[in-house]
Amino acid sequence: MRYAVLAVPDFALHALRRGDPSLGGRAVALVAGDGSRARVTEASPEAHGVLRGLAATLAMSRCPGIVLRTRDPEAETESHRLLVAAAFTLSPRVESTRAGCCTVDLRGAEPARTQALMRLRAAELAAAGLPARIGAGDTPLLASYAARCAEPVLVVADAAAFLAPLPVDFAEPTPAQGEILRGWGIATLGALTALPKAEVGRRLGADGVLLWERAAGQATRVLRHVEPARSFAAQWAYEPPVESIEPLFFKLRRYAERVALELRGAALVAERLSLTLLLEDGGDHRREFRLPEPCADVDGWLRVLGDHLATVRTDARVAGVRLVAAPARPPQKQEGLFDTGLRDPASFWENLARVAAVVGDGRVGTPLPADTHRPDAFTLERPAETVAPCGAAPVHPPCGPTLRRFRPPWPVRVACEAGSPASLEGGRLGGRVLAAAGPWRSSGGWWGPEAWEVETWQVELAAGGVYQLARSGDTWCVEGMLD
Amino acid sequence: MADPSQTVSALRALISARFPERRRQPWGCVAAAVGPVDEALGGGLPAGRLTELVSAVPSGGGQTVIAGLLGATQAARQRMALVDGADGFDPGAVPAGMLRHLVWVRCSGPEQALAAADILVRDGNYAALVVDLRGCAERVLRRTPPSVWYRLQRAAEGAPAAVLVQTTLALVPAVPCRLVLHAPLSLGDAGLPREDVAARLAVRTERGLGGASGEMAG
Repeated sequence: MRYAVLAVPDFALHALRRGDPSLGGRAVALVAGDGSRARVTEASPEAHGVLRGLAATLAMSRCPGIVLRTRDPEAETESHRLLVAAAFTLSPRVESTRAGCCTVDLRGAEPARTQALMRLRAAELAAAGLPARIGAGDTPLLASYAARCAEPVLVVADAAAFLAPLPVDFAEPTPAQGEILRGWGIATLGALTALPKAEVGRRLGADGVLLWERAAGQATRVLRHVEPARSFAAQWAYEPPVESIEPLFFKLRRYAERVALELRGAALVAERLSLTLLLEDGGDHRREFRLPEPCADVDGWLRVLGDHLATVRTDARVAGVRLVAAPARPPQKQEGLFDTGLRDPASFWENLARVAAVVGDGRVGTPLPADTHRPDAFTLERPAETVAPCGAAPVHPPCGPTLRRFRPPWPVRVACEAGSPASLEGGRLGGRVLAAAGPWRSSGGWWGPEAWEVETWQVELAAGGVYQLARSGDTWCVEGMLD
Repeated sequence: MADPSQTVSALRALISARFPERRRQPWGCVAAAVGPVDEALGGGLPAGRLTELVSAVPSGGGQTVIAGLLGATQAARQRMALVDGADGFDPGAVPAGMLRHLVWVRCSGPEQALAAADILVRDGNYAALVVDLRGCAERVLRRTPPSVWYRLQRAAEGAPAAVLVQTTLALVPAVPCRLVLHAPLSLGDAGLPREDVAARLAVRTERGLGGASGEMAG
């Protein structure tokens, strides 16, 4: 097993159907030519009685309700990129043979692992609407024969036994050669290769030798390798523009599948996703998502993107979408023997990403007090994988009720008597002060442009409730409630 | 015509027979390390259930309950999530060592908070999930459809986390446990150790696991 071929039969039709949800489960045929000369080039299995070469008008009469479409070059390009991306997950040496067909050089790959990968890729491509067949053999030609017979994966171990029953048309004889072979009573590749190669050459010339070699699967060639993807992005348009999430999501999944496969082919994962909705009025809506657990899992991406899209309201219809994945190396880690880890790390990080998509990046995490005495100074860090044991008890154990902050602080007017607050008056809080404690003065940053100075009081109101006030200059505000 | 209650009982029996794996798991409870609250709940917040804690008065002690829960879960090396509807949590108000196991979700309204809670409640990595809706506009909270709460309760039943919903008015329909903090703390409590403050909280059980109502006061 030195080469593999990934091929999609009726590629243009599958490419069209996977990009248009309205064609799912319906009888569809691709036609070429204008007017009365239009002929069917490919037809879906649902189009009963419609064969290749049939006139379009005849196809409509044979299969009422059939949808006739012309080829969609953009959809074919995208589907072919998906196929190439899948090929790169098998080996770094890939040839883009033709639309809907790739040849992969597998020399050096571990056979058992590669076979398992081929089955996995075939299943993934089928789920992505591109039912590829994968064949493997010792030559590119043998692999392509195998791909034509695969359901969906076929690895040829014994070339002679595999080729023997195949029809001679597999070797693509010219019409004249086909006529001669029929005259000789040759119908299979096995029957042709049973003839001596030199004798066939003597009767059919140099072309006959080439035909014999093709029939034996021995014809080889040098692959023209293509470069793997360097950027991991997709952009597509909606015609007509969409105004609901379902059609938007359908194409988003299709393109995300390709981007994720390209990442996996390069042994990378996405650490950030950038989604831009291009609006009909020329504006756009852009949002970047940092994935807490870098991954190349499309379902995980879409859960994050879907949670955000469900909250988005735009002024105009969506005419296009751009998706960009920022690549990163897959995370590697080793847990400590006695760490209390996560029960389900994958769902933990995925759910955090989904929550971040709802509340915004930078609004989810583990708080870490900043190294300053400035009030309400902290950073939000990525949560730890493990919960560490309790450290030493704090030197100054917490006292009193816990502060619940009002963000932003409530402005308030404070009347003072004998230097301490006596009453408050503000839009959200007011009343007579029953008791007050303070002031606690703090300052910092005097050496830089962000100098700060604040005086803090705690007051109990006659109406009930203990609040924390802050004075900065002549301005008072209620920082929060002691609760 | 069949008695509706008998029909419901028969339906429940049928569902539990057909889907035995969906029966509520006996996860136990998560101690809040706040004496009156733990006593009222018979040991702590029940796992796999919703508990509503209503702060009926200002400075009723709801934030002290969160601080207690943070300390208790850290001591047990469990993970806790705080869905902060009005972004009121102050990391500086608790020792830094009690924050390392916390996932804090800073929301800007009850819609975001309920959406985030709906995601996190299904995550099996948390021992406690606090949904703090105090400070959110009452007008918006009252408009929350009951189906949102039922959905949250059903999700909680399949998860190992104890879910504590903090409100300023009774909001959650058919909640299994509802406690009310009915007396405010005073400025005199400011000098007491935090554990003593927690022990002084005045807690009334409005709806308990056993269906009994009572009052706990420190």
